[in-house]
Amino acid sequence: MKPAKEIRVGNIIMVDSKPMIVLRSDVNGSSRTGFTYKWKMKSLLTNSPQENVFRGDDKFDVVVLDKKPVTYSYFADPLYVFMDADYEQFEIEEENLGDALHYLKDGMECEAIFYDGKAISVELPTTIVRQIIYSEPAVKGNTSGNVLKDAKIENAVEAHCHNVQVPLFVSQDDMIEIDTRTNEYKRVIRN
Amino acid sequence: MHLKKNTPRSLALFCKVVDNYGDIGICWRFARQLQQEHGIAVSLWVDDLISFQRICPQVAIDLEQQVVAGVLVRHWRDQDGRFTVVEVPDIVIEFFACDIPPGLINAMAERTPRPVWLNLEGLTAEEWVEGCHTLSSPHPRLPLTKYFFFPGFTAKTGGLLMESCLQQERQQFQSDPVAMHAFLAQFGLTAAQMDSFKIALFCYPQAPVSALFEAWKTGKRPITCLVPQGVAVEAVQAFLGGEAKVGASATHGALSVHVLPFIPQTDYDKLLWACDLNFVRGEDSFVRAQWAAKPFIWHIYPQDENLHHKKLLAFLDRYALDAEHLHRLSCAWNALAVESLAAPEWTELWQKFLQDMPKMQAMAQDWQQQLASNGDMTSNLLHFVDTLNLGGAQK
Repeated sequence: MKPAKEIRVGNIIMVDSKPMIVLRSDVNGSSRTGFTYKWKMKSLLTNSPQENVFRGDDKFDVVVLDKKPVTYSYFADPLYVFMDADYEQFEIEEENLGDALHYLKDGMECEAIFYDGKAISVELPTTIVRQIIYSEPAVKGNTSGNVLKDAKIENAVEAHCHNVQVPLFVSQDDMIEIDTRTNEYKRVIRN
Repeated sequence: MHLKKNTPRSLALFCKVVDNYGDIGICWRFARQLQQEHGIAVSLWVDDLISFQRICPQVAIDLEQQVVAGVLVRHWRDQDGRFTVVEVPDIVIEFFACDIPPGLINAMAERTPRPVWLNLEGLTAEEWVEGCHTLSSPHPRLPLTKYFFFPGFTAKTGGLLMESCLQQERQQFQSDPVAMHAFLAQFGLTAAQMDSFKIALFCYPQAPVSALFEAWKTGKRPITCLVPQGVAVEAVQAFLGGEAKVGASATHGALSVHVLPFIPQTDYDKLLWACDLNFVRGEDSFVRAQWAAKPFIWHIYPQDENLHHKKLLAFLDRYALDAEHLHRLSCAWNALAVESLAAPEWTELWQKFLQDMPKMQAMAQDWQQQLASNGDMTSNLLHFVDTLNLGGAQK
């Protein structure tokens, strides 16, 4: 059993006795009792999508499926192709990748998840490093520590280019560390 | 009254008190409205009867269960306890995502039809709430579905708690100088103080009350500050030069401070209606200040990682976008973006705020009407329950 706050995009969980894959997770602050998790999920039995909301300490059975380390190879519209160490290729549908699409990058290492012998999704590392390809310069006068701005990060397929909220001192071309569970900026990496 | 053929007739509301009076304050208003205006048999389970008694003196703190104003009040001692299927009401509400007893959840799963299960969440003006309001939350193992219900400030949320007669009562009170005089006179206010600029002060202990007292003292306009016993004790005692007991009063410079008894919920609205400016805290008094249609400053319940600052700014963005000085004073009052302000800065902040009063008064009235157009939370919630029942959610 895992609490909702530890469930990641790509995990398969049992909801009302049905295996569901988590495609997207939006985490929002709420009452004193913690965060609210809004998930987009898809049933592995019926393929039907649904949106639900959970408390961070709601507990779920996580279905342990076969996993295999793979690297992202290329996009063969509409499928995303991954390759394992033996050069075997696995194709995954776009809609099953969910938020992972935001972070895909050529040669990226991740884990393919298998259900009934078929690769159905990928699980990303908890933290990844990406370069900022565009961000507005900080506006003079905005000095509060709470102020954030949008930063577009590099990825493999432009259509899924993604913005992350970063502090004002972070600049274009900087490398930043991102938590893929929350889609949040963690820190800037500068030598 | 909400009474259709298939309308739920029984409801259990579970309240865990964390923020002294806010949680039970909201639940008590909600429970009474459900019972009195919608004819629903309400069981209010609350873990802290002592806090409850302070806002509702009729509550006995040593009873397992009692009926108060038509509501069955039950002392919620722990998570133990067996619940039979027949004990499960038509609607079960967990307030602020509190954990309801596992035995009740099991009984809920066995009941036919299943009860409507709601998590009534805390109030926030953040935009994400609109995307989560009324979304389902299927139980991971049992054939039960919970729904998240968010109060809020827009038509895409559940609205705010408001009794059907509230605005009429407010207008009646505010247009009756004799009633207002009698209400204020019970606290020992002189005629001159009644004519002064009146402020009700309710806040958490960390509010910079002393700094504001200094600004009020040195101003030209006479101010009377009414503060309930137990609130801002250190600053009030320092001002009084003695114990901050009920009835204590002192005047220094332009400022008079009076210590009030802790006012029952039914009278608190009158205090807000009678004052020119209200400092409120938490959620319950914050909502009542908005229905009072008077300018107010909100002291928000502090949360880890300064989450409350995000909520404060989200509210100010909706409410006070064009009121710069209200925005600045609110931020300073909640230690947001300023670590500390020197006394002259507070004085300047206050003077500018005061100059904006006519504008803020008009803004408060517009805001109150805007909120009212969203309907009241209790009716909105019961309407949502109806849609679930009609849609066959209770199988």
